[in-house]
Amino acid sequence: MAASEADLGRSPVALTINGRRTVLDAAPGERLLDALRRAGWLDIKESCGEGECGSCTVLLDGRAVCSCLLLAQSAEGADVVTAAATGHRVVGALRRAFVEEMGTQCGFCTPGMVLAAADLLTGDGDPDEAKIRRALAGNLCRCTGYHRILRAVQRAAAELREEVQP
Amino acid sequence: MTARKRSSGARARGRRPRRVVPARSALAPTGVVGRPGLRVDALAKVDGSARYIDDLRFPDLLYAAVRTSDLPHAEVLRIDVTDAQQVPGVVAVATFRDVPGQNQVGCVRPDQPLLVETRARWVGDRIALIAATDPATAKAAARVVKVDAVPLPGVFDVEQALATGAPAVHTGGNLIEEFCIERGDAELALRQADVVVEHRYLAPWQEHAYLEPQGVIAVPERGSMTIYGSMQCPFYVQSAVARLLGLPLSRVRVVQTVTGGAFGGKEDYPSEPACCAALLAHKSGRPVKFVYNREQDIQWSTKRHRMVIQHRLAARRDGTLLGAEIEILVDAGAYCGLTGIVAERANTSSVGPYLVPNVRVRTRTIYTNNPFGGAFRGFGAPQVTLAHEGQLDALAERLGRDPLDLRRQNALRPYAVAAWGEKLAPPVEYLETLAAAERLSGWSALRRQVEAHNRAGGRTRLGLGVGCCMYGSCLHAGGQHLEGSGALLQVHRDGSVSAAIGLTEMGQGAATVVARVAAEVLGVAVDQVEVLPTDTALVPDSGPTVASRTTPMAGHAVANAARQLRAQLLPAATGLLRCRANQVELSGGWARGPGRKKVAFADVAAAAFQAKAHLAASGWYAPPRKQFDRATGLGQPYSAYAYATQIALCEVDLATGVARVKKFFCAHDVGRAIFPDGVCGQIEGGAVQGMGYALTERLVVRDGRILNANFTDYLIPTIEDAPEVAIALIESGDEGGDKGRGTASQAKGPFGAKGIGEPSLIPAPAAVANAVSHALGARLTELPLLPDVIMAEIARRNLDNVPFVESAAT
Repeated sequence: MAASEADLGRSPVALTINGRRTVLDAAPGERLLDALRRAGWLDIKESCGEGECGSCTVLLDGRAVCSCLLLAQSAEGADVVTAAATGHRVVGALRRAFVEEMGTQCGFCTPGMVLAAADLLTGDGDPDEAKIRRALAGNLCRCTGYHRILRAVQRAAAELREEVQP
Repeated sequence: MTARKRSSGARARGRRPRRVVPARSALAPTGVVGRPGLRVDALAKVDGSARYIDDLRFPDLLYAAVRTSDLPHAEVLRIDVTDAQQVPGVVAVATFRDVPGQNQVGCVRPDQPLLVETRARWVGDRIALIAATDPATAKAAARVVKVDAVPLPGVFDVEQALATGAPAVHTGGNLIEEFCIERGDAELALRQADVVVEHRYLAPWQEHAYLEPQGVIAVPERGSMTIYGSMQCPFYVQSAVARLLGLPLSRVRVVQTVTGGAFGGKEDYPSEPACCAALLAHKSGRPVKFVYNREQDIQWSTKRHRMVIQHRLAARRDGTLLGAEIEILVDAGAYCGLTGIVAERANTSSVGPYLVPNVRVRTRTIYTNNPFGGAFRGFGAPQVTLAHEGQLDALAERLGRDPLDLRRQNALRPYAVAAWGEKLAPPVEYLETLAAAERLSGWSALRRQVEAHNRAGGRTRLGLGVGCCMYGSCLHAGGQHLEGSGALLQVHRDGSVSAAIGLTEMGQGAATVVARVAAEVLGVAVDQVEVLPTDTALVPDSGPTVASRTTPMAGHAVANAARQLRAQLLPAATGLLRCRANQVELSGGWARGPGRKKVAFADVAAAAFQAKAHLAASGWYAPPRKQFDRATGLGQPYSAYAYATQIALCEVDLATGVARVKKFFCAHDVGRAIFPDGVCGQIEGGAVQGMGYALTERLVVRDGRILNANFTDYLIPTIEDAPEVAIALIESGDEGGDKGRGTASQAKGPFGAKGIGEPSLIPAPAAVANAVSHALGARLTELPLLPDVIMAEIARRNLDNVPFVESAAT
């Protein structure tokens, strides 16, 4: 939720979002989540607002972070990737795999889940099941029982491996 | 009809399941029904382009905040909003005095004011509402509302609430209503039995924890109001807002936005935020948004009802069940809400899928100053299932019997009489679920492994537990006046199809089922069908999206509309194909005539449009009337029953008291899986929610206030807690009907489908509790089984004195 001081002391924060150079107009104390959503990145979802559920996950310089726990002004110069990113190999593969394996039901946790998995698969192209579970343990889903989420990540990993070794 | 089974156990290991092609019959689908495929809404969900309520933007939007009672029970003398009105940015402030219609949001009984007049009955009671230009200002203004209130003694326990002299939450006392089943002579059966097993079960509250919090936007327009929001039941919201504002239903339109999970938590409850936003929108003349944060959501919304169940089960030495006497106390909280309806289902479901000739059940609903109970997946059934399945395992243990075998001995079979006196029409697939779960789990071998592991005496103990249920599909006879369900289908002249239903997609896959049923009957491809957001302006009141009724009820309505449209398209098809109507086959996006002649469905639609055919149809379905006597609890409470058996393999760490589910096996009678992957997804999700209820989800409530309204202290399962779930589906694929053999008709969904939303969860807590009990050699009757509970049991049974490594005992 936007802060009431939103109109006071705003300052520009220059960053890259999904490959596009952007300047966010951020108030002091404003969360990155709010500044991004205000700028129209509505694919980032807020569920707990306290870093407990992972729904608002974005990639910040390649690492999955809860955008509700970061100040917008701390993202100066950062490279932000959201689930809506086009042309992002790993995010694209994960989105396809979540559709194919039905790793989404209500969909509210899905963008965050995709991004947490993207962080994992960027660093490790062939994670075992335990490693996938560990990497996604901070992202809550109440619908799926996680089964198909696990399979989606495994599928995306396999697809990405095939791409690099044709 | 031959039952067919589909095993998806293979899926758990990352492989595709073995597909079994069904036997064809007149009713068997020929197109997309029962086949693999994707969710129709998946793409928008994975890239985040699906628009949930918080993503909608309106000009001049205001934000709502609420001032709630700080006290669980109080006499409110004076409410002063002067200071709040003067906060810059505040546009409207409302108290009960501002309500133009009735200050009432009770969805069944008029016991719940939207805004407190003189009495606050729990901490979430609303005193004043604020609308401001930004959320922080609204919250700040809510804080400066002055309330003069005198605390009253509260009551926070159902048994205390029934005692004489207990503080009365409402005038008229704390007992709300009673339900019963009286059949045979339970007292005599208990006296004459060889064995009586008696336990007291405590099934606690459970928080829904849908990931998208409650949220609505009310948009006023010239004497009418439109509500957008995250919800299950738009028609409930429509009625509630109309009553509050004193408007005819025709002036209140409700549009459901993409809903991020609900599980019952968005059945009755969204009427409350909707009424708050509507009142502020009415007062300010501007759109008002009210989206909860997580803490508000957990603190204010309804919960799974806390129930205390005293269960006495009588049997002969050979295991034959003779009678059951069951007392159920249901904590309604401060308001009745849906409690009576939940209690009605709990009451009916309390004996389980067993042949028990003598039954006495009494269920009482009771007011307290606690958070109030509402709908939650299973609707009272998971609580009573914990008890009846605990009893079956306890009896098996007492008699030295195999738990599955004892259930088989007492199972309801075709033409058997259920606890409520109904002779069950076939198919009755309980035994099939028992057999399938037994096979899927490798029961005998697994039991031997578990026993060997426990004899070895290491740090961990293993346990196997069974949970079974018989789920009454769709609404109970008590609510059958709401059972009618509608649909609106339109074929456009390019051959694309729009479908609207009166029930909702909330994540469970309803839109995909609707698209599949429409595609199957019209003979088009699934991606030609666009399912519209549910809107009260499009479809007549179709009742609530609850009771696992969407697939059967909306499915029938869609099939009904599609059959009408098919007839309306046939003249154009016969014209193009130059044949008779009975020679035309519509399937897969084509109209086929004799001799390999075919034209595209789109061409048929275009020709029909040119011929001025009516290319829209309104579908409707209402199941046959059920006879049920509330005074005795006897009759036909439901149209059809869905059976399930689930088996849990649990591991308990004796050093830490942590219990985990290692493997989980589910066998479900689903009638027919219209969307098999969706069915399996529902089962996996429901089972894991049930495991959370059994093991980790503890709501800490003190003096009516929830102390852990967050996801750090209220623990829902994470991906590290969720085990492998293996599934077997049992599909009889029969749409049913009166067999003329003295049994009531079994009215199921289109193509014989039964709902799966709730049966997926109902037996799971019982299966897990039974498995942990088995591991510890104790009967654990109170959930959740967090480490403190388990450590206490370990200490009581001296298991902690057993060295962790010892030689195998005999």
